[in-house]
Amino acid sequence: MRIADKMAYEQVKGSISKNRQQMSELQNQAATQKRVTKPSDDPLAASRVLAHRVDLQGNQQFTKSLGYARSFLEYTDQSLSEVTDALVRAKELAIRQSNDASSGAETRKVVATEVEQLYNSLVQIGNRKLGDRFIFGGYRTQNAPFDVHGNYSGDEGEMLIHVDKDAFLAMNTPGSRVFMGSGFTKDGPKFVSPEQAMTIEEFDGQKLEGHTPNGLPVELRGPASLDPDKQKEQGPGEPVLLQAGSSTADGGVNLFRVLRDFETSLRTNDKGGVQDAMDAIDQAISQVVLTRAQVGSRSTTLDNYVQSKEKEKVEDRIAISNLEDADIYATVSDINKTESTLQATLQTSGKLIQKSLLDFIK
Amino acid sequence: MPRIWSMMDIGKRSMANSQTSLQTVAHNIANKDTAGYSRQRVDQVTNEPVGEGRLRIGMGARAATVSRTNNAYLEKQLEREGTTLGFAEGRADLMGRVEQVYNEQTTKGLNQYMGEFFNAFRELSNNPESLAARSMVKESAEFLSKNFQHVTKQLGEIQGDADFRVATKVEEINQLTKEIASLNMKIANVEVTGAPANDERDRRDQLVKDLSQKVNIKYAEGKSGQLTITAGNTAVLVSGSSFCELQCAPTGERADKKEGNFDVFYKSSPDSTPFNVTKQLTGGEIGGLLNVRDEVVNRSLDKLDELAYSLTSEVNRAHMEGFDRYDNTGTMFFNQPATQKGAAQTIAVNKEIREDVGRIAAAGQSAAPGDNRIANIVSALEYKQSLRGGTSTLDDFYSGIVGQIGIETQRANSALESQKDIVSQLKNVRESISGVSLDEETTKMIEFQKAFDASARLIRTADEMMDTVLNLKRL
Repeated sequence: MRIADKMAYEQVKGSISKNRQQMSELQNQAATQKRVTKPSDDPLAASRVLAHRVDLQGNQQFTKSLGYARSFLEYTDQSLSEVTDALVRAKELAIRQSNDASSGAETRKVVATEVEQLYNSLVQIGNRKLGDRFIFGGYRTQNAPFDVHGNYSGDEGEMLIHVDKDAFLAMNTPGSRVFMGSGFTKDGPKFVSPEQAMTIEEFDGQKLEGHTPNGLPVELRGPASLDPDKQKEQGPGEPVLLQAGSSTADGGVNLFRVLRDFETSLRTNDKGGVQDAMDAIDQAISQVVLTRAQVGSRSTTLDNYVQSKEKEKVEDRIAISNLEDADIYATVSDINKTESTLQATLQTSGKLIQKSLLDFIK
Repeated sequence: MPRIWSMMDIGKRSMANSQTSLQTVAHNIANKDTAGYSRQRVDQVTNEPVGEGRLRIGMGARAATVSRTNNAYLEKQLEREGTTLGFAEGRADLMGRVEQVYNEQTTKGLNQYMGEFFNAFRELSNNPESLAARSMVKESAEFLSKNFQHVTKQLGEIQGDADFRVATKVEEINQLTKEIASLNMKIANVEVTGAPANDERDRRDQLVKDLSQKVNIKYAEGKSGQLTITAGNTAVLVSGSSFCELQCAPTGERADKKEGNFDVFYKSSPDSTPFNVTKQLTGGEIGGLLNVRDEVVNRSLDKLDELAYSLTSEVNRAHMEGFDRYDNTGTMFFNQPATQKGAAQTIAVNKEIREDVGRIAAAGQSAAPGDNRIANIVSALEYKQSLRGGTSTLDDFYSGIVGQIGIETQRANSALESQKDIVSQLKNVRESISGVSLDEETTKMIEFQKAFDASARLIRTADEMMDTVLNLKRL
C-alpha cells in the first residue's frame, strides 16, 4: 500500500486522540468512583439505579413512619397497662369489699373514694396525648376524647400508616373500643382493620366506607371526585357521641360505667352490687388485655417491617453500588494499560513523523 | 548539421519538460495539506519521430497533460458515508444534551423530587395535624412543579439550540452551493479546451463532500462536467452555473411543534413561493439535528406531559374527596390542566393551597384532624399503576423515559464512533491513492533534476559539436 504523508499524520492524530479520550474516561471513573455517570454509559444500569434510588428513598421514609408508629403503639401499650393496673386494683378492692367479714359501710365509703380516684385516673389515661395528639380519640386528635362523666367525643377512626410499598398498619386504638367496649364481641375485639398490615389492594378496596361513623360512604375513586353535586350530598361526617351511660351494642363493657356502678354500690353499701362489680371488672380487664394483645401484635408486625426495611435499605445500597460504582482495581489497571499505550503511541509517532527522505539528502 | 540542431532542440524541450515536471512536484508539495487535493503528474509522450529512409529518428518527448490521480468511485463513497457521519454527529451531539436533562447520576432530578413529594405526604399521614408537615407537602409539591417546568424548559432550549444550528448549517450550505456553481462554470470553461481542470475538480469534490456532511444530497455530472445537486428529493440546489438557496423560517404549521421551531424552505427562483422541504432533509448534520429536535425531544415532552397530567389528575382526584383542616371539602391540589398537552409546562400548586397549607386535605371526613386517609391514598399513588392503561407506575414510567434516552444516546454515540472509523478508513484509502508523499516527491525531484542536468549537458555537447563543425576549416 502506498503511504501518503497525510495518512501518517492522520493516523498519529487519530490514535493519540483515541488514547487520550480513553484516558480521560478512565480518569473520570477513577475520580468519581463511578462507572455510570450518565444514562448512556449503561442505560439498563442507569434505569435500574433510578428504581433502586426510588426504593431507597421510599424505604427511608417508611422507616421514619415506622418509628413514629412505634412510639404511638408503645405509648398506647403503656397507657393500657396503666388501665389494667387500675382495674386490677379495683378488682382487689372489690374482692375485699365483697364480704362483710373484712369491711363495713364505713370502709366501703373510704374505698369508694379510692375507686373514684381510679375512675378519674382512667379518664386521665383516656385523655393521654402524644405530642399534641390525643391517642384515644380516633381521628379526633385535637380535643380530649373523654369528659369527666366518661362521655366519649372521639370517633372510631383508625389511623393507618404507610409502612411499605403495598402495606398499611393501624397505629391507634380508638377509646370507644377499649374504654367503652364498642365493637367488642364475646370472642374479643372486632376491629375494622386487621392487626396484620393490610395490603394496598385491601386498602384500596376498603376505601373509606366502614370507617365512617354515620354510615356515609366516602368514595375516593371514580368520577364522583370531579362532580361537585355529589360532594354536596355527602356532607361532612357527624361526630359519634357515645354516652357514658349507654349500653354498648356489642359484647363489650364500658369501663367507666363499671367503675361508676362499683363506686355507687360501695357508697350505698350494696354487697350484692359489689359482687356483681367483680364480674364486670373481670370482663373489663379481659377487654383491656385483649386490646393490649392486639397492640402487641401490631408492634410485632411493625418490628418485622423495621427489620425488613433496614435489610432492604442495605440491599438497595448494595444494588446501586454494584450497578454504578467503578471496579477501582480494574480501573487503575486499565489506566496503567492505557498510559503505556499512550506513551508507546507518542514515541512511535515521533519517529514516524520525523523521518523523510529529505533528511538524508544533503 | 540538422541533426545537431535537432539534438539541441530535443535538449531544450527536454529541459522545459523537466521544468514542467518539477513545477508539478512543487505544486504537489505545496498542496500536501490542502483538503481534497489529489496529487498531479505530468504525462509525457514521445514526439512524432522523423522518418529518414529506413530510419525513424525519435524527436524527444513533450508534456501531454497534467492529470490528477483520483478514484471517482471512492470520492462518491466518501461523500455518501460523510452524510451518515454528519447525521451521526448531529444526533450524538444533541442526544448528549438531552441525556444531561435526565441525568440523575450526579444531580437531583425529577425522580427524586417526585419521591420527596410522596414522602412529604407520608409525613403528613403520620401527623396530619402538624402545620410543619403540611408546609413540607406544599414545598415539595412546588419543587416538583418547578422541576417539571425546568425539565420542559431545558428540552425547549435544546430545540431552540437545534433551530439555531440548523439555521447556521443552512447558511453554510448556501455558501457551498454558490461556490460549487461558480466552479461548475470554471470547469466547463477549462475543459472545453480539452485540458482537465484538476484543481477546480479537487476543490469541487471537496465542497460536495462538505455539503453532503451537512445534508443528504444526490448529484450527477452532466456532459460538460457540470454537477447538478439535489438536496433531499426535490430541492435542486445547483444546476450548471446557477444555484438556489435554502431558507430557514419559523412555522406554526405542524401541530406537534413547539413555538419557534424552524423549518427549512426551498426557493426555486427569487420570485417563487418558498417550499417546505424539512421532511426531506433526513441525512447529514441537519438531518441529525432535525431528528433529535422533532422526534426525540418532542416524544420526551409528550411523555413528560403524560406523567405530569397523570400525577396532577390522580392527586387532585383523591384530594378533592377529602376535607381540609377547616372541615371544608378538598379543593384541587394542583391546578388541573385542561389537556394532557402542555401539562408539564403548566403544572402548578393550586393558589389556595399555596396561600394556606391548612387547605391541604388529609382527612377523609370532616371534624377529624387526625384522619390521614386522603394522605395515605396520595402516598399510595406512587405505587399505583396509573399510567399506560394501568400497567405502569409513575416511577416505572419515568425510569422508562430515562432508560430509553440512555439507550438512544448510547446507540447514537456508538453509531458515531463506528461511522468515524468507516470514514477514516475511506480517507486513508483515498490518501493512499491521491495523497502526496514527500518521499515520493523528493525522489521525483531528484529524478527530474537529473533529467534537467542531462538535457543541459546534451545542449552543451551539441554546442561543442557545433564548434567542432565550425572550426573544421581552421584545422
